[in-house]
Amino acid sequence: MIIPLSKKRADASAELEKWNKHVKKKKKIKNARNMVNICLATMFAACFAVLFLLPIVLTVTNSFMSASEISANYGQVFATSDTGGKVYISEKVNLKFIPDMVSFSQYITVLLKSPEYLFKFWNSVVLVIPIVAFQLLVAAGAAFGFTRYRGRIKEIIFFVYIILMLMPYQVTLVPNYLVSQWLKIYDTNWAIWLPGIFSPFAVYLLTKYMRRIPLSVMEAAQIDGAGEWQIFRRICLPLCKGAMCSIAILIFIDYWNMVEQPLILLADQEKHPLSVFLSKINAGEIGLAFAVATIYMVPPILVFLYGEDYLVEGITYQGGIKG
Amino acid sequence: MKKSKKLILAGLVLSALLAGLSGCKGKEPQKEEGETKEFVYVPEYVDIDIECDYIYAMAAVGDELYMNAVAWDDEEDERHEFLYKYNMLESKGEQLPIALEGDYNVAGMAMGSDGNLLMAVSRYEYDTDENGEITDSRSTLELITVSPSDGSVKNTMDLTEVMGGGENAYIQQFTVDGQGNIYLSDGNSGIHVLDKDLKKICDITTDNWINSMLASNEGDVYISSYGETGMELKMVDLAGKKLGEAVQGVGGGFGNREFFPSVSQSFLVRNSEQISYYDLEAQATQDLYKWLDVDINSENVNYMGELSDGRIWAVTRDYEASASTSGGPEYELVLLSRKDAAEVAEKQEILYGTMWLDSNVKRNIINFNKSNSQYRITVKEYVTEDFQSGITQFNADLTTGDCPDIIELSSLDFSQYASKGILEDLYPYMEKSGINKDDYLENILKAYEWDGKLCGLIPRFYISTSMAKVSQVGDVTGWTLEEMLDFAETKEPEQLFQGSTRDGIFYYCIYNNIDEFINWETGECMFTGEGFIRTLEFAAKFPEEYNYNEEEEREGIASQIRNDKILLMQNSISSVQEYQMMNGMFGEKIAFLGYPNSERKGNLIQPTGGCMGLSSKSDKKDGAWEFMKTMISKEYQDSFSDERGGGWGFPVRKDALEKQFEKDMAPEYYEDENGEKVEQPKTTWGWDDFEMEIMAATQEEVDGVKALIVSAEKLPGNSNDEQLTNIITEESAPFFKGQKTAKDTAAVIQNRIQIYVNENR
Amino acid sequence: MHFSIKGKKEEGLKLKPLKKGKKSGSSSQRTRKGKLISAGYLFPSAFGVLLFFVLPFMIVIYYSMIDNPISHEFVFFDNFVSVFNNSAFQQAAKNTMAFSAVAVPLAVVLSLLLAMMLESNIPFKSQFRTFFLSPMMVPIASVVLIWQVLFHYNGMMNEVMGLFQQDKVDWLNSSYAQVVIVVLFLWKNLGYNMILFMAALSSIPKDILEVAVLESATPAQTFFHIKLRYMSSTILFVTIMSLINSFKVFREIYLLKGDYPYDTMYMLQHFMNNTFSRLDYQKMSAAAIMMAIVMVAIIGILFLTENYFGKDVEG
Repeated sequence: MIIPLSKKRADASAELEKWNKHVKKKKKIKNARNMVNICLATMFAACFAVLFLLPIVLTVTNSFMSASEISANYGQVFATSDTGGKVYISEKVNLKFIPDMVSFSQYITVLLKSPEYLFKFWNSVVLVIPIVAFQLLVAAGAAFGFTRYRGRIKEIIFFVYIILMLMPYQVTLVPNYLVSQWLKIYDTNWAIWLPGIFSPFAVYLLTKYMRRIPLSVMEAAQIDGAGEWQIFRRICLPLCKGAMCSIAILIFIDYWNMVEQPLILLADQEKHPLSVFLSKINAGEIGLAFAVATIYMVPPILVFLYGEDYLVEGITYQGGIKG
Repeated sequence: MKKSKKLILAGLVLSALLAGLSGCKGKEPQKEEGETKEFVYVPEYVDIDIECDYIYAMAAVGDELYMNAVAWDDEEDERHEFLYKYNMLESKGEQLPIALEGDYNVAGMAMGSDGNLLMAVSRYEYDTDENGEITDSRSTLELITVSPSDGSVKNTMDLTEVMGGGENAYIQQFTVDGQGNIYLSDGNSGIHVLDKDLKKICDITTDNWINSMLASNEGDVYISSYGETGMELKMVDLAGKKLGEAVQGVGGGFGNREFFPSVSQSFLVRNSEQISYYDLEAQATQDLYKWLDVDINSENVNYMGELSDGRIWAVTRDYEASASTSGGPEYELVLLSRKDAAEVAEKQEILYGTMWLDSNVKRNIINFNKSNSQYRITVKEYVTEDFQSGITQFNADLTTGDCPDIIELSSLDFSQYASKGILEDLYPYMEKSGINKDDYLENILKAYEWDGKLCGLIPRFYISTSMAKVSQVGDVTGWTLEEMLDFAETKEPEQLFQGSTRDGIFYYCIYNNIDEFINWETGECMFTGEGFIRTLEFAAKFPEEYNYNEEEEREGIASQIRNDKILLMQNSISSVQEYQMMNGMFGEKIAFLGYPNSERKGNLIQPTGGCMGLSSKSDKKDGAWEFMKTMISKEYQDSFSDERGGGWGFPVRKDALEKQFEKDMAPEYYEDENGEKVEQPKTTWGWDDFEMEIMAATQEEVDGVKALIVSAEKLPGNSNDEQLTNIITEESAPFFKGQKTAKDTAAVIQNRIQIYVNENR
Repeated sequence: MHFSIKGKKEEGLKLKPLKKGKKSGSSSQRTRKGKLISAGYLFPSAFGVLLFFVLPFMIVIYYSMIDNPISHEFVFFDNFVSVFNNSAFQQAAKNTMAFSAVAVPLAVVLSLLLAMMLESNIPFKSQFRTFFLSPMMVPIASVVLIWQVLFHYNGMMNEVMGLFQQDKVDWLNSSYAQVVIVVLFLWKNLGYNMILFMAALSSIPKDILEVAVLESATPAQTFFHIKLRYMSSTILFVTIMSLINSFKVFREIYLLKGDYPYDTMYMLQHFMNNTFSRLDYQKMSAAAIMMAIVMVAIIGILFLTENYFGKDVEG
């Protein structure tokens, strides 16, 4: 019996629809807890929020302080040997939120006087963007592979992925180094890109997510005659869009802050990203560090503001329905 | 539509990625091609048979080399100048006298368009009083036209006006272009151009210091100078009366690059590493070969160029090695011809891995490569930018199996590498080569032993020590930390050392003898002990940084020592003369205490002129040993005392050391007006406010040096160990600021270093 | 539109053999084919993982059994014995375990509490959510700077304690160091964990909760018997993520105190990092393998627990 194609498609889409509704069914708020509880919780949350925001705010405000103000405030903590002790250093450490005098001198140094910072910033971009894009691409395929036709072998492979994902970077530090020399990619961007692109992290997250797509959805499509590519392209990818965005954010944040990999795999300091450079800024240049950090924070903040809803949406799915 | 676009985009990115990958892989074979050489450059040394002390200027015209040389005539006690013409193809030289009067200095030579030799000279004139003393001197700048066939002067022109007439003007660079125009630069970045009839064409100024000025093979004149991003090469544009834009592809950076005329390409370029061509049309540099590969010490190259048959030539002068032979330094011509690799007997390559190439070792390598028909040493220098990345690369090579055959150890932590078992025992090799180890200083060999195996070989050494007056510390050869602190605390001088700082105290008391505080056998750390706490408290009395601004009114160091304002002096002793000078400076007997050590053995052995280990993974150990053994050969060891020019330090071979002592003890005489022999000082040594004439050493002095040498048993502790110094510097800071007690500080230091020690066991 | 037509055409073509063949046979054929295709999707990742993760791990195993990276002589388990007996390794293992054992449960529990707090319908919920996530954005280097200002011997914490007549504490050089690191870890990771829990909480079927209320279950009962069970997979997930992140705290410690911190902050990663830079690859590898074995055990236990608790919900 041959079912008309259009009807098959209709069946599949109805199935999808149903499932989507189930997912997106919003929580109805119908409980009337008393106001006191809510007030307490709000205050508590507010306190926490202040603590959480403190470093980010400090970084930004301190970046507008002049070098002398910085050394006066933090001289007790960071030995500023290059000032030779001739600069005023306050007896106590001053954690100030508002600079005495707003100064753009640090920014002028970073943006105009020494192009190296911008150069390293660009290095960061060049290193991170391909990793995010291609890790997602590779992971999407792998996750699909893990989702379809699950069997014992695949489960074992998946478990291996989890173990590898959990290994601290230091474990594979040397071997990675040796492999990159063997592949002749040592001291090139490929040495960072390739291990990044094939990282099992995104595979794990995406597989976890994809496996929650009800089998019936895919089966319906299959009965309709959809090939694996159609199932992947038309069903899995659209449904995982949120998850992929949220994973992209996580990967981005992770690699944006990488320190160890470039240190080991890129001998040429010219190629190092700003994150490495930032971590090596010495005590005499704290003010500069704040300014550079502020600039360095801009892309993650943009990514966050743009993708926060995806992050939550993607995860909503993740934590929720069981397949 | 939107989605298809996305797909296309993704496809594009993917293909770009793949293209990048393949591009990356595509490069490899090219690289390997470069490694397996099709051609090799073979050096041929030619004696140009010129007897002179110095060549002022050289100019090559075709295959003929003109040299303006000066020789000192000992018999008549006067300068003798001549022009020497050498045909490099026919290997024929000819001396032409030039009849230039007075005292002059040739700044440059070039062939003019009329076939006469042009020489730019500065002539000095002196006014003398009745006693023959010079009262005034003037210099004039002249352009002299000389006939190349007989050396006769055809024309003399005063350049003073052309050069701007400034008082400080001199002729810095001089060249002639294809049209016969004459270019002069004046040292103030001004370029003055004359036509072939010596009429002025124009003046051009530039902001930068002119490094060199020369004509390309096309006949245009270029100058090289340091611009904002490095070496720049610009054409002198006569039509526009200005400098052209900087050409591309010269190679970035500020590394020392020199340009020389070439025949087949625009220029020849040399730096301290290699020779290259530069092509103006392609705006690119093409590397030819490394100096070391053609057995030339780049430091010795005076001038170079290219012959009509494509061979590259260089005139070299070995200042140091030739000093030992009777005559003065000799000029040599090296002709480098390109040959098929197959034609040349292939030598086995031995890799010499070093952080930096020591200049003495470099000379030895070149000599070895010149003379040995079976092996050839190639050098790999690891430190290109900073030390740490060099070490990392070296360690990586060790682990991946690309280990050098010979490992230069002087800037590495000897015990770390010796304990890994990567260094071959050299005693069996010495035996095989018939070298008796009893001929060498026992304490030096012993210091480089690990488990009874000789893991390092040094040709020479010096002793790093500290000195004090015997009247202050007693006639001792070492002291413990407690003794040292007791002494320093009771005396309370203005300074312990000259310019002592906290770091200096740490180095003296701790870093150089770190094994006093760490027992590597048991893993025990002694930083909470009395010695360390006392050192901390003691160091607190000294400034963090020595204030050099006050130095202007500072008392001289010798006088401070004699007045007991400075008690100790850290220095190294590398010769008897240095020992003599130290004695003279202190003005009384010195105790060589070295660094504080519980066994009172604080004098340290420091290698110089190389320190080599043989890799146990090497497959050419015998070849490597061929080279290494030259470092301790009798011939080489004896050569140290012939002439002190090449390096410094004591030889490790006993008889060579004795020979050195004999030489130091042999008095030198001159005849006074009565014809009597009077001893004259060998040399004069000075330090700060102190100066002393060194006479022949007495037996007592030589014995003192011997005792000092024998007393040294240890290699310096790994004071490069940044981990330890960082921890101590970081954690002692609050103590010096008065925020923590010495005891608490010591406890934290102990805690952190303990981790370090435990980990290393 | 153009695209969808093309898609249809392809489907039409692929359906052809289906029409012709017998239904039962072709279905199993299709399954086999599908299996192959799905394995193909897996291939790029598997290849990369093999090259950049599994192969390196094999090298680690190899290195753990040789005497040193230069002479490559097999010593089998000597390295494991010597590393296991090394007091620095023991210290590092103890610290790492203690840290993870304290920090991971704290990160799970605290973020769950935060999530429930935010779920209790307070105002500015989304703003708070953003605030709690903000630590993820701050570059590590500046986090470390701020932490130094706070916890240095002359830092803010001691200033504040001075106001209350307390003695100065050397936060980073004493047994308090681990507290500082735990705080740092929580600060960085609570936000993300919280989001995960919020999502899980909001997706618990409402009808079940309603039934619970109707059957007059106490809030505690609802929490333990319903919410926790429904969230068991999220809890596992959060635990795994926290565990991963707990190993990343090395980066902060390293930037705070360098290669050799005070002994309570000395982690396994320090041990590995330092042995690497000193050429002791065999020690590093032996340590890495021991760590991997423990990790496998922990993950195994976590999965078993999740399976045990989450089964009835999954149905």
